[in-house]
Amino acid sequence: MKQWWLRPAVRLAAAVLLPFAVPAIITALIWALPGDPASIICPPETCGGTEALAERWGLDQGPVAFFLGWVQDALQGDFRNSWRLQQGLPVAELLADAVPNTLMLLALALVPVGLGSVAGSTGALPRRLDPVLYVVGLVPALVLALVAAAVVELNLGASSFDSAGQWARLLAGAAVLGLADGAFSGAVTGTRSLVQNESKQRYVGIAILRGEPTLSNILPNVALALAGQLRARAIHLLSGAVVVEVVLRIDGLGDLLWGGTLLQDFGVVLAAATGFAAISALLLFLQALVEIAVALHVRRAPDLGVALEAPDPAGAGEAAA
Amino acid sequence: MRRWPSATVAGACLALLFVAALAAPEHLSQGDSALAYAGPSELPPFGADNRGRSLVEYATQGAQVVALPAVLAGLLVMALGTLGGLLSCMASASVNTWIQALSEVLGALPRMVVILVVALILPDDSRGLLPIALTWAVLSSPGAMDEAAAVAQRLGGARFVEALRAHGYSAARIFGYHVVGLNLRPVVVRQGAEVMMQVVFLEIALSYLALAEDQPSFTHSDSLKSWADLLNLGYPALVLDVPTMHALVLGLVLVGLVAIMALSVGRAARAR
Repeated sequence: MKQWWLRPAVRLAAAVLLPFAVPAIITALIWALPGDPASIICPPETCGGTEALAERWGLDQGPVAFFLGWVQDALQGDFRNSWRLQQGLPVAELLADAVPNTLMLLALALVPVGLGSVAGSTGALPRRLDPVLYVVGLVPALVLALVAAAVVELNLGASSFDSAGQWARLLAGAAVLGLADGAFSGAVTGTRSLVQNESKQRYVGIAILRGEPTLSNILPNVALALAGQLRARAIHLLSGAVVVEVVLRIDGLGDLLWGGTLLQDFGVVLAAATGFAAISALLLFLQALVEIAVALHVRRAPDLGVALEAPDPAGAGEAAA
Repeated sequence: MRRWPSATVAGACLALLFVAALAAPEHLSQGDSALAYAGPSELPPFGADNRGRSLVEYATQGAQVVALPAVLAGLLVMALGTLGGLLSCMASASVNTWIQALSEVLGALPRMVVILVVALILPDDSRGLLPIALTWAVLSSPGAMDEAAAVAQRLGGARFVEALRAHGYSAARIFGYHVVGLNLRPVVVRQGAEVMMQVVFLEIALSYLALAEDQPSFTHSDSLKSWADLLNLGYPALVLDVPTMHALVLGLVLVGLVAIMALSVGRAARAR
């Protein structure tokens, strides 16, 4: 790509648009389906007269008015009220409780994934362990989460719901997310293959002959791919967070989204999906920052460690003589 | 590496899945309360639930829930992956850029979020695993297309096709045999098998989470039992003194069989 700034610029633009695009698409889908939105969200046999509901939920003005009104409120921190999950309660309050827990879970789950990446890049985990890692990675998040929930409940009993218990659930959830569905094994093998392929390049061999470390030479070249891998893994962890949060009873965004979906609480689902989109946007933003930093780094004049002097014509003549 | 051992295991697992699905009863039987919590030795082969109903019915109904949607999702990913590889062989490099862009767009959000939104907006009469499985397949397909395109590029892409044309090979032989049959097959079949496995695991997860909240599942009607019911039935055995460990073991064995099936399909496709 000739313009180095184009890729990070597109990523930054996507990061800005994503939190708006997600509620827009969900709103559009609701109106695109046959039937009126109120009866799709809450069937008449469950909710009775849908005209009154449509008016109460702001669905009677059409998709554009609904979306613009919702975004306007959301930008002021008002995500309106829950329709069915916790009827009448402001969704912003639910989000305020849920988002920190999910971010904490994600951050903790990134620890084993990060360790896997380091182990893969440094060769700390030998290749012969790959089959074991692969088999562990095949275990679905649900199964590991059930085991983790049982361990927490057996060890903490009734106190598993107090503050210490919540921490235990978060740590157990992070361990499950970090191991299940190939998260750890993918981090080890993905980073290893990336680093090993780059280490085969000729410039690395020359750098080693010059006594330079391998890592500092290859890092600028693999940083972009590593950042992309890390973002993909973080998105993967977020996907698994829904299952882990529900099974381990962690009050997070995934648990909120699940509850909203199960009870067809469109207000909660819209806000929770936007919350996930905002976290994804943050990851896109961080990836763009890495891309910019790498681009600026590789465009700097290299420091050769010696002072370059202007050629001396006389000296050159003497040498020629 | 020989193909037949893996192919035999994969075929046996697939056959077992479909035979079980076909043998599934429409409704669970009434059961015999005298056999409640019966172990496999008292009510062979798998034991009974808390109402004395045979766990065979759970296993077969669970197979019926997942068999067709999982296989169709796998086939869709295989078809789209093959398309990605073929496009990479036929068209310019810009196709790869577009596939990567599509992959970035579809991969920007956690898949489970998309799945739950789809589950929310599906009309009641369209609910079931199939639309969810196909959505999962569509979300997975850019990765498969990207990998297949990378294989095609390593092969030489359009130059490889030109070289074979120069030898006088027909288009069917070039694309059908050399490109897809010999080179794309291991990648797209493995991707398809993985998606098949993921769809089964997704169904189990969605059904289990619904069971945990005492709500109906998005993936099947209330008259059917999922393999998640086995895990839900067996889980209390881990934390309480409830004799349902046999249900948990059966659920885990079924999960394991699906993983073995996916692994075997991938290995069989890779072997020569």
